[in-house]
Amino acid sequence: MKTEVRHEINRTIVEVHGSLDALTAPELANTLVNQIAEGHVNLVVDLIGVEFMSSAGLRTLLGAVKESRSHGGDLRIASTNPGIDKVLKMSGFHNIAKVFPSQAEAASSFGS
Amino acid sequence: MSIKKKKIALVVGAGSVKCAAALGLWKVLEKENIHLDMIVGCSGGSLYATAMAMGFSLQECIDKTKKLWNRSITQQRNWRALASILLPGVFKFNNHFSMMSDVPMLRSFKSVFGDKTFADTKTPLYIMATDFETGESIAQCEGPLVDALRASVAIPYIWSAWPHSGRLLIDGAASNPLPVDVPIREGVDIILAMGFQSPLPSRIKSVSRYAFYINSLMTNNLLNANFAFHNAVHHAEIISIVPEFDRPIRLFDTHQIPYVIEQGEKAMLEQLPYIKRLLES
Amino acid sequence: MNNRLSIVIGSGGVLCAAALGLSKVLRREGLTPGLAVGCSGGSIYAATIALGMDPDEAQRLTLNLFTGDVFEGYSSNLKSALSGETRFTETSSLIDDSVMYERLKSVFAERTFEDTIFPLHIVATDFYTGERVVISSGKILDAIRASIAIPLIFSPWKIGDQMLVDGAVCDPLPIDVAIQQGSDVIAAVGFEMPTRKRMNSYTAMTTHFNSIYMNNILKSTFAFYNAVHHAEIIPILPSFEKPVGTFDTQQIPYIIEQGEKAAEEHIPYIKQLLLATK
Repeated sequence: MKTEVRHEINRTIVEVHGSLDALTAPELANTLVNQIAEGHVNLVVDLIGVEFMSSAGLRTLLGAVKESRSHGGDLRIASTNPGIDKVLKMSGFHNIAKVFPSQAEAASSFGS
Repeated sequence: MSIKKKKIALVVGAGSVKCAAALGLWKVLEKENIHLDMIVGCSGGSLYATAMAMGFSLQECIDKTKKLWNRSITQQRNWRALASILLPGVFKFNNHFSMMSDVPMLRSFKSVFGDKTFADTKTPLYIMATDFETGESIAQCEGPLVDALRASVAIPYIWSAWPHSGRLLIDGAASNPLPVDVPIREGVDIILAMGFQSPLPSRIKSVSRYAFYINSLMTNNLLNANFAFHNAVHHAEIISIVPEFDRPIRLFDTHQIPYVIEQGEKAMLEQLPYIKRLLES
Repeated sequence: MNNRLSIVIGSGGVLCAAALGLSKVLRREGLTPGLAVGCSGGSIYAATIALGMDPDEAQRLTLNLFTGDVFEGYSSNLKSALSGETRFTETSSLIDDSVMYERLKSVFAERTFEDTIFPLHIVATDFYTGERVVISSGKILDAIRASIAIPLIFSPWKIGDQMLVDGAVCDPLPIDVAIQQGSDVIAAVGFEMPTRKRMNSYTAMTTHFNSIYMNNILKSTFAFYNAVHHAEIIPILPSFEKPVGTFDTQQIPYIIEQGEKAAEEHIPYIKQLLLATK
């Protein structure tokens, strides 16, 4: 699993590739927590390269959603893979966080 | 680090006349000068949510909501539909089946809200419904209020599903009886949640009562499961305001409204000190 | 036996047979679960797996469970109940459920929970309170009969002092039972109930509404279990190219095949998890 971080004017894009499971989730958790600690509280997590996401992976995302919100920001998901989107829907993610069909839409939802 | 003002929302879940307790809660908010950033209503709760979002005074809310929800809205049965249960071939049974006609209800709603839309509300409002085909939870926030309300109170079997924006909509309680996820999604910090368990019909004497009974069991289980999930994923605070009633409050007991409002006020006053501390923190 | 691994099979009628496909794959890989949990239709297969039944034997035995004659009398009973001719109370049912009972008896006879090779738990719902009831002892036949008591169709089933109905009314995919028993790698086989676009009868409407509620309860409980527990939940989701009816026993071989395929995808990760130190 690898992540690529890119800072834009008022948000930070985190692209995730590979498998997001119990073995790799802690690494992503670290990345996201560090970004928030550095003041980058508006996050877009792009799951475009994620082939598999387990409950451990979901918990990492949820934790980061809560963390970013308690710092006055938000974490929004860009999800283009139908398999991953199915997992997000089943686990109620769509109900409690904003999920967009593309990175551009997720990014611009933070305004310019 | 910027100090952002805390956002606060009120969610009034399904519960017919018991939802009037929200007016008691609102009385306290007005007195303390606490302004809500969002109001969400589901099923019967959406009637009170809408009245509050429109900015009516407390007495106006009481008078208007009495007009919206009372026995007269169940006075007309839908005979054709009832006949279609036994003779589905002759009287065509279809998706628009209902035991009651919605004509008296629509008349009541229109007399109170006329042609007003969501854009006319003073506080952002969401009225919940459920997609009849897929079962997903739909948060309505555009268009005429009467439309959204008619969809939200479309209790299965009793009133027919309501066509709206390409979907057929029914009672929001079938997917989300206490829709706390709407303010969570919008990043609201403090959520005041007023939800009610569905009372279980006491004696089962017929198939339809049985079906209704099972529905109530499932609505309660859904309420609990949703609430557990939403509590676990919210970043800040969800405060349950639970009014206590020492007597049964039945579906159309509008004469109990003053008592219900009083109990709502009491329940809110208990939580008020904590809510104020949260707002100031 | 690996105490950390468990199988949870939720409601879904004959679709639950996909769990036999999962069981075949686990056997092949030398992985024995530490426990099995079943709800509604899933309780039948959770029981056959926990009893150590050969998957092919289980397939053969369950083929007869939902044949047409099980549902005989449904239409005429419904008509007379709806017209008020016959009274319908909480102990009533729209079909003669003794047929189903005899079929289940022919598979499970007098076997008890103590006969299983690893612990089995079956979930039902208390008819009067709506709360979840977990059955872990006594006759397996009783527990299954309670767990599959589909509202209106089968009558509720009494065990001890409790009147029990379909577990899906409170917890269609009871993953946390496995978590409470100490499992942290959970292979979960669950299904949404089919919904319809067009209602052409009162029954169609009732079934549809029940499906909507149950599916929403399934989603919410699944979301909750995923979010709050440290356990790794692996959903085994078989895909079906053609629509399969909830009671279409003829499709069982196809269902098992699809279950195998879905399970195979996750085996490498399951093995990795079981090998990794806690």
